[in-house]
Amino acid sequence: MRSSPKVLMVSACLLATACTGQTGSDDGGGGGGGDGANTLRYLIEQLEDADELTRLEEHLADFEESSGIDVQVQQLDVDTMRTVLQTQLRADDGPDVISWGSGPGSGGALAEAGLLYDLTDAYEENGWEVYDFAKERVTYDGRVYGIPGELETVGLYYNTQVLADVGIDPPRTLDELRAACRTISEAGLVPMAFGDQEGWPGSHLLSMALSSALGSDGMQALLAGEGSWESPEVVDALTFWQEANTNGWLGESPVSIDYDTMTALYISGEAAMIPTGSWFVNDLAIGADFESGYVPFPAPDGEGVFASGLGSGPFVSANTDNPEGAIELLDFLASEEHAQWVVENLQTIPARPVDTAGLDVDPLLAQVLEEVSALSEGGGGLGYNIDVLMPEAFNDVMFDGVQAVLTGQSTPAEVAAALQAASEQ
Amino acid sequence: MSAAPAPTVTAVPAAPGRPGRRGRRPARLGVSAATRRQQARLGVLLVAPAVALMLVFLVFPVLNAVYYVFVDFDGLDVTPPWVGLGNFTELAQDRQVWAAAWNNLIWIVLGTVGPLVLGLTLALLLWGVRRGSTLYRIVFFLPYVLPQVAVGVVWGWIYAPTRGWLNRGLEAVGLGGLARGWLGDPDTALYAVIATAVWTATGFVFVIILSALRNVDTEQVDAAMLDGAGYLQRLRYVVLPQIRPVFLMVTALTLIGGFAVFDLVFVMTGGGPANATEVLGTYAYSNAFQLSRISYGTTLALVVTALAVPVAVWLDRLQRRAALDGGGA
Repeated sequence: MRSSPKVLMVSACLLATACTGQTGSDDGGGGGGGDGANTLRYLIEQLEDADELTRLEEHLADFEESSGIDVQVQQLDVDTMRTVLQTQLRADDGPDVISWGSGPGSGGALAEAGLLYDLTDAYEENGWEVYDFAKERVTYDGRVYGIPGELETVGLYYNTQVLADVGIDPPRTLDELRAACRTISEAGLVPMAFGDQEGWPGSHLLSMALSSALGSDGMQALLAGEGSWESPEVVDALTFWQEANTNGWLGESPVSIDYDTMTALYISGEAAMIPTGSWFVNDLAIGADFESGYVPFPAPDGEGVFASGLGSGPFVSANTDNPEGAIELLDFLASEEHAQWVVENLQTIPARPVDTAGLDVDPLLAQVLEEVSALSEGGGGLGYNIDVLMPEAFNDVMFDGVQAVLTGQSTPAEVAAALQAASEQ
Repeated sequence: MSAAPAPTVTAVPAAPGRPGRRGRRPARLGVSAATRRQQARLGVLLVAPAVALMLVFLVFPVLNAVYYVFVDFDGLDVTPPWVGLGNFTELAQDRQVWAAAWNNLIWIVLGTVGPLVLGLTLALLLWGVRRGSTLYRIVFFLPYVLPQVAVGVVWGWIYAPTRGWLNRGLEAVGLGGLARGWLGDPDTALYAVIATAVWTATGFVFVIILSALRNVDTEQVDAAMLDGAGYLQRLRYVVLPQIRPVFLMVTALTLIGGFAVFDLVFVMTGGGPANATEVLGTYAYSNAFQLSRISYGTTLALVVTALAVPVAVWLDRLQRRAALDGGGA
């Protein structure tokens, strides 16, 4: 999976909610990571700052007191983690619990290599409640290996004041979006803030346009290899973004702009809309002094659906000396108490039902939570964020392909053909 | 008790033809076998740490890398399948490799010629300047000692399409039509990164060549001037021959850097847009660590090394020959 630094930070936070603590039990002892018998070593992706860790430690105090397990947190940046993770999982003193991506190229690859602990029985014994579609993402060959991390959706944010000022409603169809972009451009603003220097934001453009065009079932079929990446829907989705870039609706030279600059353009009020993910709610709550709305990317002939994906979630090392302690830690991470803390403190969406009554939640996040919860429990109402589900080799082609469309190096049809070829490998 | 006579060591006359060259050992007459054994043991003891370090940090990794190029290791499988020359076959047929190699070639040419020309020009301009020489040497050398990652980040800001200094500067002088997203345009991205590399390397070339110029025999330069030689003639026939070994050394360093380029490209463009700035180093990295194709990435890295070593050896020999031929500096 390739995600924004914010996403990675949030993912790590979700998992790090079980770090530290004193312990009382005598059994167990981490796959070696802990200094004593009552410790677990917990490897997470690098947090953004020390304050994040402090908040997590404070949150974990209750868990530490009740479990008596000392959880030692180790952080690694995601690239280093990708490089050393399998080595650490094979080591005698490796981590007991890790935070890692749930896609087939991430957790799936580790499970296939026999490096993850089978949690199928633990799910039944502990009654962990997660959305079915999320549980499927951590299920490999019929066995469940992890707790799904936070749920991410990808859609279109808009500045409510700007849209009101130029006299348009939030776009619900592609034609409405085109008209909105033209109107906003004429008003001297950038219609949609976008930056694709890193490559992965481009995959979100394709994911959201394609999810809305194909719907949940259509996306599922495409990702399962039952559909063609050279289909008109894929070409049309890429063509829309080519059109948007040609008309200047994505701002100036979006491929030169990184994700942070892209979000700054929106938060500063220079852009009226921004196509990105639900993790952006937290940035808005901190940085924006205006109200935003969040809608699914429009479909060609009507209202679209949110593209969705899962962030990193906790897995247990197959090499752990203390599976009971590790499962106890996961039990905490799967609890509603933890989910509520995540909503309130990290402003992200847990992959499980959560009662937000009485919580201090940003109104925009509350709206997103409500919609996502209704869709997730009903099933079939969400599209898919492609890059968290497909292998890295496919993602590489997709990242380059969207960049190539935006820079004019390739046509949408050529990129669609490259995607089809990559999906067959 | 009389002292024992000191051992006599008689030097064997050097063989005719190449006196004093390496490969000729002086005879060790008069040294007892026990002493020789002690000396040998001491020698082994003294070199052992260096040999151990070499084995651990050089030989073993190289052998390990050689092993990986013949298997298909994905970072997970402890018993990767043997693929023989499969990685090399794929490499030869991989169009992205050739595109990356072409970018390396452009980098090698421009990234070598640029700093050499600019550094030499600056050094010649400031050759006779004494006042403030330390200051300008520091100023010009500073970019070279800055971390490449920091340089890449800062130049990324300079090239930024909307708020970048370059575009703002162009607009300020009425050349706004040239403004663009320098790093996002496939036609300019590679050259924009190379320009950054030239900026960092020029100071290094300048300082080294300026030092070499300080050792040039100025009497020869004056004599040439009295004989009517023009500036370019004095440069071509008097100055450059005297600094040739240093010039070749600097050339070798910048040229080999072109093979191994990675950090600036990785930080500024990540090889994009759509592989437009991909070089062999970044392509090897993305294969090994982003696509988990450790073996293929290792194969690419070995090929880069194999390409760079002959050039380095050739330049080294050229430099030695220049020194033996009487290069001054």
